[in-house]
Amino acid sequence: MDKINLKEIKCISYERAEIKKGYTDKSLRINLDANEITISSIEERIKNKFIGGKGYDLWLMWNAVKASTKWNDPENTICISSGPLGGTPGYPGGGKSIVTSISPLTGAPIDSNVGGYFGPYKKFSGFDVIQVDGKAKKDTIIFIDGIENKIKILEANDLPTDSYELSDALTRHFDVDKPVNVSVVTAGPGAEHTNFGCLNFSWWDAGRKRVRYKQAGRGGIGTVFADKKVKAIVARFGAISMKSNNPADLDALKLVTKSHAKEIRELDPKQNRMSLVGTTHLVPIMNDHDCLPVHNFKFGSHPESRVIGEEVYEHIFDKGFDGCWKGCTVACSHGVKDFSPFTGPYSGKKVFVDGPEYETVAGCGSSLGIFDAHTIIEINFYCDAYGMDTISVGTSLAFVMECFENKLITLDHTGGMDLSFGNRFNALEIIHQMARGEGFGAIVGKGIRQMKQIFAKDFGADMAFMQDIGMESKGLEFSEYMTKESLAQQGGYGLALKGPQHDEAWLIFLDMVHNFMPSFEDKAEALHWFPMFRTWFGLCGLCKLPWNDIIPEDNKNTSEPAKVAKHLGWYADLFSAVTGRKSSPEDLISMSEAVYNFQRIFNLKMGFGTREHDTLPYRAVGPVTIEEYESRQERYDEQLKEKYGLDISNMDSKEKVAVLRQKREGQYELLKNAVYERRGWNNNGIPTVETVKRLGIDFPEVLEVLKKNGVA
Amino acid sequence: MIEVDEKKMPWSKDLTMASLLATLENVDFCSVVRLNGRLVSSPKFAETIIPDNSKIQLLPLVAGG
Repeated sequence: MDKINLKEIKCISYERAEIKKGYTDKSLRINLDANEITISSIEERIKNKFIGGKGYDLWLMWNAVKASTKWNDPENTICISSGPLGGTPGYPGGGKSIVTSISPLTGAPIDSNVGGYFGPYKKFSGFDVIQVDGKAKKDTIIFIDGIENKIKILEANDLPTDSYELSDALTRHFDVDKPVNVSVVTAGPGAEHTNFGCLNFSWWDAGRKRVRYKQAGRGGIGTVFADKKVKAIVARFGAISMKSNNPADLDALKLVTKSHAKEIRELDPKQNRMSLVGTTHLVPIMNDHDCLPVHNFKFGSHPESRVIGEEVYEHIFDKGFDGCWKGCTVACSHGVKDFSPFTGPYSGKKVFVDGPEYETVAGCGSSLGIFDAHTIIEINFYCDAYGMDTISVGTSLAFVMECFENKLITLDHTGGMDLSFGNRFNALEIIHQMARGEGFGAIVGKGIRQMKQIFAKDFGADMAFMQDIGMESKGLEFSEYMTKESLAQQGGYGLALKGPQHDEAWLIFLDMVHNFMPSFEDKAEALHWFPMFRTWFGLCGLCKLPWNDIIPEDNKNTSEPAKVAKHLGWYADLFSAVTGRKSSPEDLISMSEAVYNFQRIFNLKMGFGTREHDTLPYRAVGPVTIEEYESRQERYDEQLKEKYGLDISNMDSKEKVAVLRQKREGQYELLKNAVYERRGWNNNGIPTVETVKRLGIDFPEVLEVLKKNGVA
Repeated sequence: MIEVDEKKMPWSKDLTMASLLATLENVDFCSVVRLNGRLVSSPKFAETIIPDNSKIQLLPLVAGG
């Protein structure tokens, strides 16, 4: 790119707020309708209750949107925050941004936790959280310059259309001498033309001297970004140190940072080896436990999965430091150097691909019947460059392929493309179509929930069957774990506030493998504490992986090994050290519980958030088809006989499928009852007045929403 | 001899991963091991024969992804 052509529309100078104990106590609002830039103070009561990160995002959004607000209304808001602990160099996973908006897929608040340097750079530039609303008339760049203390709204012309080139060009433009000072948030053409656009958050890889990025993938926030005609948000800041957060106790911060980083450095090589293989170690593990989605979650394993797991990617990933935050010792953000795509606009060129992670391998590989590492890398590259979520892309395409194989859709509908499982060339072609908003790809880009309506209405497809096999809940496509044999993880997906994403609760090992939670009450308890700890990372600007993906050697000797108490103690110490607010591990739960329940009530405000919305496609619960049943017949037969005490000697497979379904769906409803009770919600899944009072979120507007829904 | 988490242990012919783990204490969380660098998960423990001189690491998996 020769020269960037930007026209200044608005510029303000500001006095950068001093960071105190992890907070700037300021928010920044950019309104694109009027090109207004507003800096506001954050009230102490909001800080104490919502902590930061996702909590701040949700509070600002709650005040910005109405119950009737749709994702593409001007008042819909994109919020990006860090958190009080975000920006601590050397703390593993200590540089996350949390992004929220009203989702094009779900119509409700969506949140996404992402690496890269943007969140800390924005905070150290003076803002705990930024809020972008309104709609620009022309392509726009928002520039937060924490070095010059200026905020600019810029009109952009003739910029590269995809994230891959755009983030590189803007990084070099905004600090040609020190590109490490710049982090860029971008989307791409796929975000413009699909409902599952993602955002790429960049950082400068000093070792490789190139821009890298991670994705805020879930729920289509990139689509909202593109709809607002925002091409990029850029943050620029200088050197960062342990003192940058102005912590309450610097020595304590140094001690806890050193302890956690050292443990990961020592134990990761003995455990999951994420600093070498990222999360691709999960491919063989999930496959062996029958939890790897194969052919749209029909099956949980496949013999060819061995060629798309860690043993392959360990040799493909480029060697070097791969932390998406400064000094992170997990350093799992691996990439592929000098990759040469064989399709699309980069065909024959050499590119650097950030990824793939487990979710992309499973969603765009095994679930599509594509057992080819090269194709998965290419899909990964284009999804990122186009600004599309690899999870929703993969899960949507898997649904399409099963519909095609069952003749619910035909060559007439797909533009002549055979979309059988394993057809990697046509899978890639659909992805290019999605990005262009053309052909059958334009339909796929709407996501599974809308595809079901279109296939039924326009193509005469069987809606009941599509409801069973379409892997979405609340409108969001499933992330990539099979849940048929883990009732707790069915709850982990079905009861997740934003939809079926595993970042809220991942209980497959604790439930299915270790059988640590045999009763409904046990599962409900885990579906309380696990999401609360995970929520806390999103409040504070941290990554979830260092909590329980690397385990202390003496963890098995503790009273509750599942909680990894040593790490929770460190997190409480970290919070205390930075904020000066003395905290225990139990306090982390109470911080999260307030925000978690607030988000549930936010869903309610937007017309969701009740029992009927916590449903799952039956494919997530049990075998939909006779083929699936018979593929694991021994397992299912035994359950019908032993667990449910049925005489199945005269049943054929069709009858067995039906009776197993009745039993399993009944179990899921019982699980909902137990979880609602544990969370202090009524039987319709709504927090009670007692609960919101206990949590201190009994604001008048919250009580009003409850009252409107019959809770007083 | 074999090494389990860097501790030497006796090896016997036809030793399986399941039978090895049955002799160890406090391995409730061990559903995955690395056997000479390769991942082996609990559904395959009974059929996995451990060769002599193997190095085994017990992986305490709690979460993922």
